This record gives sequence, structure tokens and C-alpha cells, in this order.
Amino acid sequence: MASISNLDYFIIIFYMMGMVAIGFWFSKRHGDFEDFFLAGRSLTTPLLITTLISTYYGLDVLFGDSQLAFTDGVVAWFGYARPTYAFFLIAAFLLAHRLRKENFLSLPDILDRYYGKETRYIGATASFIYSLPSLSLYAFGMLGEVIMGWPPIIGMAVIGGVGLIYTLTGGFWAVALTDSVQFLVMCLIIALAVPFALNLVGGFDQMIEILPEYYFETMGDLSIWLIIIYASTGLTILVEPTFYQRIFAAKSYKNVRNALIAGIFIWGSYDWIVTILAMAAKVGVLQGTITVDVDSNAALLTIMVAALPAGALGLFLAGVIATEMSTLDSYCLVAGGNISYDIYKPAFKPNASDIELIKTTRIGIGISWILGFLMAIAFEQMLGLWVLLASILISSVLVPILLGLYYPSLRKKLAGILSSSFGLLSTLILNIYIMVQGTFDPVEETYILHFGNWEILQEYVMYFTVPFSFFGFLLGILIEKDNR
Amino acid sequence: MSGWEIFTWISTVILGVGSVIVFVLFLFDLPSLLNNKPKK
Repeated sequence: MASISNLDYFIIIFYMMGMVAIGFWFSKRHGDFEDFFLAGRSLTTPLLITTLISTYYGLDVLFGDSQLAFTDGVVAWFGYARPTYAFFLIAAFLLAHRLRKENFLSLPDILDRYYGKETRYIGATASFIYSLPSLSLYAFGMLGEVIMGWPPIIGMAVIGGVGLIYTLTGGFWAVALTDSVQFLVMCLIIALAVPFALNLVGGFDQMIEILPEYYFETMGDLSIWLIIIYASTGLTILVEPTFYQRIFAAKSYKNVRNALIAGIFIWGSYDWIVTILAMAAKVGVLQGTITVDVDSNAALLTIMVAALPAGALGLFLAGVIATEMSTLDSYCLVAGGNISYDIYKPAFKPNASDIELIKTTRIGIGISWILGFLMAIAFEQMLGLWVLLASILISSVLVPILLGLYYPSLRKKLAGILSSSFGLLSTLILNIYIMVQGTFDPVEETYILHFGNWEILQEYVMYFTVPFSFFGFLLGILIEKDNR
Repeated sequence: MSGWEIFTWISTVILGVGSVIVFVLFLFDLPSLLNNKPKK
């Protein structure tokens, strides 16, 4: 448990109560379902910047980036973070414009319009599974333990419960507006931490002098294959349900484009500073100014506790909580929408009123939170779980959505069904097979299946399942052609 | 001052000042966002 003053605790509690208050403020202020789910499609550029950045950046980025920077140096930015910006540019100039042309409300809406209801349900199921907030809740368990000394399950319930309350009550309005506060807290405090951290280790020159040379090599000693794997994780942006939700909720395409372009500078700066702070933590360890046996994924937290004065530390910890809470609320809302708008309405009650839809969305939010909570308790390897969830989404919807968006002549019903179902089933089967038959490698932090001289990492699953989904798409096109 | 250090301070300014500017612009938008909202 970190050494934290009463002022820091006060700031953290004040922040969490503020989030709940915003949720209650909006609980009676939404009109129809579109207002509840997309904030009436009225998001302006500044609000889009804040909600996009705070949602897409969770603790996985904060601690994932810093973990790599702590052990390998600037490659964390050049090899791991930088490729993602290329996908943001693709999204800004190619994807968002197409998505805004038609009046979609959710990602499965696209699948329904191009391929029919069956593909919609498969896409909604994949989106729901991906959006379960298990990683966020697991992170809250960890934070509760570090900050308050609570058992993980209490941290998950209390901190995660705050996010659940304001999402349930206020819908997307509360999510977007709390995201804005969370954006300011998480960005400002990371920027303010730089002088404190550099001062702690004796300045930037000390970092260059003490750290090994490879810490400043842009590609470090990572293999090209690992860099390709890191870069391909950016693919999730192209089918990310919360990202789509913000594109649909924007006032216009121009707002989305401008927000993404401005956002790249803030994303880039955020990643770079996290990288430098983690490297400063490494210098602190080598100098003996901070704990010598610090774990690489706790590097950032450790140097902040050591460097920041009372009050600033409370703001930093509130910022860390904000970073993940803005992710949890958005995914819970998307999962709730998958249940109500994408499955319940078309399958069981096509004439459902807006009030019924909002009520069902709230039930869906609750279900997703509970399932995420159970998964966070049941799974020991969160990285493996994240790979599973991300590969389910990408393998099921990437091929039919991108091909459908750009090639209208390929929008054939069977192509959509086979592509999404082949992707979904093959991902589930392969992931489970590797997790059951493979061995967990604590160095690589992943499951590995040994196949003769070959090693298949769990991260490689998408290299089999996405082509299989593409094969299903082509098969569907050919069968429909023959039937004619 | 090395290139790395200059890059770090530029990033710090972009993140710190940029996030405040974006938040202030959001606050300017807030009244019109709230006024456009229909009450239940």
C-alpha cells in the first residue's frame, strides 16, 4: 500500500462523488433513446477529443506503455505506440466519412443493413463480449489494493460501482461529460509529473548517462515480427464499438476528422511522457532512490508516489482512476446497447418504445458489469483474456464491415453470415485450444502452443482467424453466385 | 540540452496546455449543448 496523505484521500473521494453527481444530474434530462445512447448526435469537436482520448486510453496503455519503456526504453513509443497513430489517420480520412454517410446508430446496425439480421446478431454478440468491462474491473481491484489496501474484490466493487452508477443513470451524456473531466485530470497530471520525476532522478542528463544505450534506440532490440504484432493491435480502432459510437454521436464528419487530427498530437504527447516517466523510474531504481525490486508494470505508480507531493499525488491517483473509469463507462454503455437495440428490439420487440429501450439498455449495462466482474475474479491472466476478447471482435466483424463499407456490390447476405460466424467460431476454438493445450510463459506473459519446432503465441490467433473470416466471405459470395 | 529532452518538454507543453485549451473550448460549448437537450 502506498504512503498517501489525508489530502490525497479527500481528492480521490471528492472526484468519485463528483462523477456520481454528474450521472444523477443527467438521469432525468435525456429524451429519446438516441439522446440516451448517442447524446442526440450533438457532440462538438472539443467534446469528441476529450471523450475519444479518455475512452480509448485505459490503464492498459498507461501501464502497458510504461512497462515496455521501463524494460526497453523509447521503443515503447516508436515501436508500440506510434503505429497506432497511422490507424487514427486512416480512421479520420477514410473510415469516419463513410460511416457518417448513413444514419447508423451502432456497429451491428451496419452489418444488418448490408447483410441482414443474422449477421447483426453475430456482430452484436461479438461486440457485447468485447465490451465486457472485466479488464477495467480487474484494474480497479489492483488500484484499490495499492491505494487503500483493500482486497481486490472490494476495489472492483467500490470503484467500479461508481462508474456503473453514473452510466446507469445518465447514459451517454453522463459518459461524455465525465469523460471530459477525466480527460483533463489524466492529461494534466501526467504533464505536471514530468518536472517532479526528472528532479527526483537529477535531470534528463542523468537519464542519458545512467541508462544503457539501447534505451535510446528507436526500435530497441525488438524483432520485426513482434513490432508487426504490436502494430496490428491498432487494427482494433477500425472496428472499435466505442469509437464507432462517438463517430455516430458527432455533430458532423468534420467534427470527427478535426477531433482525430488534434487528438493524435495529444495521444502522441501522452504516450511519450508515460515512456519518459517509466524510464525515469528505471533510473531511480538504478540510483537506489526508489525501491530496487519494483515490478516493471508498477514502475509508473512507484515513481509518482516517490516524486509527487501531497495533494498532487491525490490528483495523480484520481487521474489513474479516471483513466480507467472513462473506459469502463463507455464499454458498459455499448454492451447495454448491444442487448437492447441490437438484439432485444429486432429479435423480440420491433415496436419497443424509447422508454422500453432505455430501460433494457440499463439492464444490459448491469448484466455486462456483473459478467465483467465474474470474469475479473475467475481469470488469472488478464493479458490472455484481453487477447481473447480483442480477437473475437476483430475476427468476427473486421472483414464484413470493411468490405461492406467500401464495396457495395459485395453486400451479400450469405457472405456476411459465413464471414462473421467463421471468424467468431474459429477464434473461440483456437483461443480455448491454446489456453488449454499450451503452456503459460511468464516471460512473454502469454500462452504458447508448441508445434514441433514452431511456437504459436496466443497473439498469433488473429493471423489465422481473420483470413478464415475472409475465406467465409468469399465462400458466401461464390455460393450466392451459383444459386443464381 | 539533448534532442530527447527538447522533445520531452515540447510533449509536456502540448499535453498540459493542449488539454487545458481543449477543456476550456468544451466549457464554451457546454451551455449550448445543455440548452439543446430536451427535458423529460
